Parts: sequence; structure tokens; C-alpha cells
Amino acid sequence: MEVFSLIGNGFLIALTPLNIGLLLLGCFVGTLLGALPGLGPVNGVAVLIPLTFAFGFDPTSSLILLCAVYFGCMYGGRISSILLNIPGDEPAIMTTLDGYPMAVQGQAANALAISGVASFVGATIAVIGLSLFAPVLARAAIHFGPADYFALYILAFATIGGIAGVDPRKTLLSAAIGLMMATVGIDPISGVPRYTMDSFHLYDGIQPIIALVGLFAISEILLLLEKTAKDRPKAIKVDRWLPQWSAIWPTRWAMLRGSGIGFVAGVLPGAGASLGSFMAYVFEKQKSNKNGTFGKGDPRGVAAPEAGNNSAAGGALIPMLSLGVPGSGTTAVLLAMLISLNVQPGPLLFERQPDLVWGLVASLYLANIALLVLNLPMIGIFTRLMMTPTWALMPVVAAITFVGVYGISNSIFDLKLMVFFGVLGYILRKLDISLVPLVLGLLLGGDMERNLRRAMSISGGDWGILIASPISITLYALTIGFLALSVWLAVRDHKQTKAERLTEG
Amino acid sequence: MTLRTLTSVKLGAVLAAALTVTAAPATAAECIAPSNPGGGWDFTCRTIGRVLSELGLVQGNVQVTNMAGGVGAVAFAMVANDRPGDEDLIVATSTVGVTQMAQGRYPAPLETMRYLAMLGADVGVIAVDNDSPIQTLAELTAAMVADPSALVTGGSSGAGGWDHIRLLMVAQDAGIEDLGAIRWVQFDGGTDAVTQMMGGQISVVSTDLGEIAGFVESGDIRVLAALSDDPIPAFPDIPTAISLGVDVTGYNWRGLYTGGQVSDEAYAAWVERLETLYNSTNWQEAATSAGLVPIWRGGAEFEAFVREQAAVMEEISRDIGIIQ
Amino acid sequence: MTRMSVRLFGAAVFAIAALYTLQSQQYLITFGDVLGPSVFPVIVGIPMMILSASLVVFPTGDVAWPGRDRLWRQAAALAAFVGYTLVMEEVGFPIATAALIALIGFIMGGSPWRALALGAVFGPGLWALFDQVLGLPLDFLGTLFG
Repeated sequence: MEVFSLIGNGFLIALTPLNIGLLLLGCFVGTLLGALPGLGPVNGVAVLIPLTFAFGFDPTSSLILLCAVYFGCMYGGRISSILLNIPGDEPAIMTTLDGYPMAVQGQAANALAISGVASFVGATIAVIGLSLFAPVLARAAIHFGPADYFALYILAFATIGGIAGVDPRKTLLSAAIGLMMATVGIDPISGVPRYTMDSFHLYDGIQPIIALVGLFAISEILLLLEKTAKDRPKAIKVDRWLPQWSAIWPTRWAMLRGSGIGFVAGVLPGAGASLGSFMAYVFEKQKSNKNGTFGKGDPRGVAAPEAGNNSAAGGALIPMLSLGVPGSGTTAVLLAMLISLNVQPGPLLFERQPDLVWGLVASLYLANIALLVLNLPMIGIFTRLMMTPTWALMPVVAAITFVGVYGISNSIFDLKLMVFFGVLGYILRKLDISLVPLVLGLLLGGDMERNLRRAMSISGGDWGILIASPISITLYALTIGFLALSVWLAVRDHKQTKAERLTEG
Repeated sequence: MTLRTLTSVKLGAVLAAALTVTAAPATAAECIAPSNPGGGWDFTCRTIGRVLSELGLVQGNVQVTNMAGGVGAVAFAMVANDRPGDEDLIVATSTVGVTQMAQGRYPAPLETMRYLAMLGADVGVIAVDNDSPIQTLAELTAAMVADPSALVTGGSSGAGGWDHIRLLMVAQDAGIEDLGAIRWVQFDGGTDAVTQMMGGQISVVSTDLGEIAGFVESGDIRVLAALSDDPIPAFPDIPTAISLGVDVTGYNWRGLYTGGQVSDEAYAAWVERLETLYNSTNWQEAATSAGLVPIWRGGAEFEAFVREQAAVMEEISRDIGIIQ
Repeated sequence: MTRMSVRLFGAAVFAIAALYTLQSQQYLITFGDVLGPSVFPVIVGIPMMILSASLVVFPTGDVAWPGRDRLWRQAAALAAFVGYTLVMEEVGFPIATAALIALIGFIMGGSPWRALALGAVFGPGLWALFDQVLGLPLDFLGTLFG
């Protein structure tokens, strides 16, 4: 197999002392940035770009450093999801659903370990996919047209009702609010400013990360404040400092399924890590939620989305390297850096710069191992965070979110917007309305609309284009199947509870 | 063992270096890229910033701030409102930005700013998929004349943006009356448009060559014409539209502006610094490798050029029907 | 009566969705854009109106709002957040952040001195972490002193 000798060469390149040093530095900085709410891979990579220039690292070393940061962020994002119920970055949002309940039940160490191992599994599967099939997959992904992307988003939003909450209407309404907010700003297709209220601050729309941090972090503080000093937990009780293997092993299938779904989402430019972790969670829940444990601290609800999000992050490197199409904000920054280092990603990259590609692939394998090794011993330290009294922990978390959001574009307006989202998040949570669909709507709404309009521009106004390709037909069939299954399950559960009530009564 | 100690020493050095670099004193210059990281304006700021500090033309590093929104409108409004007299501030712009100004899509008129210099330009191209039955620009325009809505076209700008206008200028030259009937699809970047064309979603792409050069070299797409005065050195086989009898050029120059209340001395100093930068091999290499053709216009000459181009752009936009 | 909040929320969202859908009709043009900028807001707005209207008619869930003393704490925390956004650029990052941490710490039930100490440590500490180590520029002194 030619691939193995190429990877072997890659390891020779990756295993130079400089590259290993950069790899470890990147993993550490990445985990830190990912864990801090508001800061994410985009900041991390942007912060380190001047460093690569200043030292004149060659493109391979620079890319190794930045990809390690990228992977590190994906690992780090889950930490505050689990411990604080505040996602560190967008893709970590699904991890709050079962991760935080686990932590509240004293299972923080297990949740962190499961998510760490799931991250490792997901990312490793993605790197294996990258090394074996990158060019083939990239060529397959280009057949995904605007109508197919639209069908994919329809599938996502049709299944959103299944993620959380008792009343599916509230979940759908939350998604609709997110989609509505996604249309704020200058419309990139026509150039018309929409719903900006004549404020140029809104020309660029509402950044999902600002909404995310406001909705989760600020509202969390407001919620904590309404509990009386007596019933507010000083700190969450921790049963165990160290994870147990017996808790991790049963989630193996959830990890593998999540990895598979995430990887597909990652390879498609425009779907990305958030959609990957979302889909992984929804499908895992549909498949495994026999006893209604999802959303209440089911370990599989932590394993699937974390595997999905890391797998998608790795998968997103495929279109970036072999087509030059950035699938996400971070890969866009990586792409810019490569171009400014005189490397042109695209169809010829694998032929012309095998050292760069395979050196990167090898260092991604190493980065995964490094991240797992780095993350597992830190679990004990992180779980101790839970012991910090709320009055000391939350103000610092709040301050970090303020800096994180300010650091994105140095705008005070963004801070005010974040506070606004905090109040909105508080109201929604009081009314039992899940925040996750809102953020997903905001994240995916722009692309959903643009792809619908692109499809209609291609067809010249014929709506038939939406169901004209085999890919979109398959996706709609999946959507219908999923909805039918949900309805059937709901009816069955309803009958069961009715029967139980009758026997009890 | 040796490897391990070496590694930790290196890592220590890198960590220490990371701390000192990022702890460098406040920079004397700031470049605003009015886009997210990764776009052409981001490249302009980052490359110019890097070369400026390499040549010692500014103190320390140039701080690059990304301020995306409204195809440059957000940064334009911020500079006009908050920092019109900031002499340490430069902002990236290009033909794309001037097109927006000419169509009245910025919150203030063009004259609000002082335009420093243009340092290079990307060349617009018209391309089709390698498997497309269309072999030449003449075949393309013939097909479009026969039925303007027959072919689906696309590029990285929205409707009425620079990629779209360049295509419509070619179509207009070919004698197509109903320009609005030509189907145009916006994508997030030139490579997105090209890969969607390779996937069979659209038939023709009009965008800058720099970003999609890899696909030309790999033979995945066929460039029918370059919208430049002279053949492009890296691709001498690509015919210019002019050589094919279509009198259209469409460059996308990259340049910088500064606030409207900056003093004449500071303005002149920036122009001088940028001219030194332009003449350095560092810039020439960086620009060429990014697919740009180095072109210099600075100071008053550039001011005049921007105004003239905006006037021309406004006329074309009105002519084509993008603005009333 | 506890369901009144859900009804009120539904009514508010309905009004916003209706305005949103109506406003979208202003976004006409355009040249070379088949669907235009006004259709997607309608696709989102109409289901939103239906969903919110159904919440007004058939509300679900019980909502218990906090008592008056708790509301004061929340209002104080919100005031601290908004105040922070107003003075941060003037007084500089470390001072503003120290004050924010101390105030929120106090409001959340920490003793005043301990909250102050927490702010005094973490205000400058976060500045050092973000500005010095991570390289995100933050004003040290602000426009008032600097």
C-alpha cells in the first residue's frame, strides 16, 4: 500500500523535535482556548499566525502548530459544557445536554473521561479517513449542490424537535427564533440590509458565538441568583475524582456511530462540526433512548456528540486541503495562512507537497494521542473546579465571557448584545424552552437560506429543483422516516403511560 | 533520551518565545481587514503588515483587526465615525469595495476617506468545466446570445457585485440586451463556485484567477478568457478577452485607505512607506505567489484613480440595471 | 395562572413574528436574484406565528417566577453587566473587570471583603492572561487615564 509508506514518511517529518514541540504547544493552547467560553479555534489560530511568521517556520511546521490548536479547541470546548453548563464553543453545545446533568449527579470525572475518549475516537477516525480517502471523498463532496444542502438543513431542523424539552412546539419555536435572527444583517446575495434597525453594528449579522455565550453563561448567573442562599448548592458534590473504565466502555458504539455521522458532516463544506455533533446526538438519542435517560445524564449522550464534533473537525480538513474550500471559520483561517505561506491548497496539493500533507496527517495522529494523554490527567484538576463555591466561580466565568466576546471584534456593542441574549436566555429557560435549537438556527440559518436561494437561481425559479437530485430525495426520505419513527414512538409511549396509570389507579 | 531533552528544550524555547512575541509593546500601526480571516482583504492586511515590520517601516508588529460586515461597510462606518483622524490606522479595500461605494451601499460617500495606494491586482477570468462543450469565449457568448438564460453562471460576489458585473460586461459587449435574464448564483468564494461547477451545478464561473489557479493547473477547469490588458505571466496560454475581440478588462486591485481627517504629513508618510514596501522583493514575491500582478498607484494619482473608477462603476451599474 | 407567562410569551413572539414577516416585504429588488431577500423570512415567519399562536391558546408548563428579593439581586447583576459595558473602555480592562467580579461575587452571596479580594486578583490576572499570554489586545488604563 502506497499510503502506508507516505504516512511513514509523514511520521519522519512530524517527529522532529521542533514539530513535536509545536504540536504540544498547540494542543495545550488549543485546549485552553477551547475551554474558555467565547474564545474558540478561530481566535486560537489567528493569535498564533503572527508567531509562525515571526519565527519563519516552514509551512509544514506552521500547519502542524495551527492544526494542533484546532484539534485542541475541539477537545477543550467540552470542559465548560460539562462542568458549568456553558459551551466553550459552538460545537460543544450538544455536550451540555447530558454532560452537565452527569456532572450534577457527581459524575463529572466520568463525563470528562467519556468525552475525552470520544473526542479521541472521533478525531482518530477522521484522520484515518483523511489519510485513506481524502481525494476520493473531496471529489464525492462536490456533487452536493445547493438543493442537497438545503435538504440536509431540513433534515436537521425536522429532527430538532427530538433533542430536548417536553413540548416539541417550544423546541421548534426556539429554532424559528434562531432562524429569524440569522437573517439579520446585510444579505450577501442581494446586498440589502435586513432588520439592522439602521445600526451598522448589525450589518454583519448576529455572531452565533455571542448569542451562545450570552444565552448560556449570563442566563446561568441570573438563574443561580434566584435560588435562595440555602438551596443554592455551594458546590456540586463529586463522587469520584478519577474516571472508571466501566463507565467508558459501554459508550463505545455511541462513539463509533457519532464518529461516522460527524465525519460525513465534516467532509461536506458548509455542514461542519456543529451540525456533526447535533446529528450525532439526535441519531444516538433516537436509537438508544429506550428508557428516557437522554437529557438526564446519559453517558451515550456525551459520547456521541463529542465523537461527532471532533470527527467533523477532522473531516473538514479534507475539502480544505484537497479542494481549497474552507468548510468552517477555522479552516478558512488555516487556508489563509497556507496561502500567505505560499502553499496553494487545491487539487494539486497532494501531488506537489506530499511532505506537507503527510507530515500534517502524521502529526494529527500524534496530536490526538497527545491530547488524550494531556486531557485525562487534567480531569482530576478540572473536577476540583466543581468544588469552588458559586460566588467565587461564576463572577470569574462571567468576566471571562466578557473578555472572550470583546476579543472577537473589540466591540462594546457585542457585549451589550451578549447581555441582551443573557436576559432572553433566562426568560426562555424559565419557560422551559431549550436554547440549543436557537443557537443551531442561528448557526445554520444563513447557509440554509443562501442554499435555497442558490438552488432557485440555478433553476430560474422552479421549486422542483429541490427534489430533483438523488441526494436530496434520499435526505427527504430520511427526514420523513425519522419523523414517522418519532410519532410512532410517541404514540407508543403515550399508550404505555396510559396503561400504567390505569393499572396504578 | 537525547531526543527527549532536546524536545523539552525546544518546547521551552518555543513557549518562552510565544510569550515574548505576544507580549511585544503596543504596535504603532493597525490594519483593519473588513472581512473575516481568510479573504482577500485579510490577505492584504496580513501580508502588508508582515512586510512592513520585516522592512522595519513600522515599530514592532502591525496589528491586524478583522472587522467583517457589509462587504466593508461596517469598517468604513466605524472609521468615519470613531477614528477619522487616527494616523496609525490603515484599512484594506479593493475594486470590490469601490463597487459597493459606487452603488451607494456604504453609509458614507467615497470622499469620506483618504486613499493611500494600490499595491497589486488580481485578474478576473471566465472559466468553464473541463468537460464543458464550450471551448472558446466566442462559443460562450454565442450560446448566451441565443438564450441568455440557458447557462447558469456564478462567482464569489452577490448579484451586482464585481464578479457579476465583469461577466455582464462581457455579455454586454457580445450584444446581449436582456442582461437580467442571465442566471447568476452567488457563492461564498471563488473555490466554492469552481467546485460547484465541477459538481455540475453551474456552467460558467466568473471570478479572480488567484484563488482558483490550482484548478486551472490541474486541468479541472478551462479558462476561456482573462480580463487583463496583457497575458498573465504564469498562464501565457490563456487568451485575454481583448485579444479575442471582446474589449473588457476586469482587475480586482488591492489597496488601502485611511481616515478622512488624517493630516497631509501623515498621509504622505504612509504613501512613502507603502512605496518602499511595494519596491521590496518581499512584497513582490508575496504578491506574485498569491496570484497578484504587482501594480503601483499612490497618493494623489491613486485618489484620482479611485474616484474615476467609482464613476465608471456607477455608470456601468446604472447601464446594466443594478441601480436606478 | 402560572401558564399566563407562556401565553404572554407566545403573544410577544407572535407580534415579533408578524412584524418580521411584514417587514420582509420591504426588501424588494432585485437584479439577478430569483428568490430575493424577502421569501426566506416569510418561510420562517409564518410557522413562527402559528407556533406562537398555539402557545397562546394551549400553553404548557408551569412557570414560577422568583420573589421580589430575588428579582432585586437579578436586577443588580444586570446593572453590573450593563455598567461594565458602559465604563470598560473608559476606565480600562483590569479596573472594570475587578469591579465586575467583586460586584457579582457580592451579589451571589460572597462576603464583601472576599468578593473584593477575588476581583483584585482576577481583574489584573485575566488582563495578563488575555493581553500578555494570548495576545488579545485589551486596554490597561482606558481612555480616562491613558
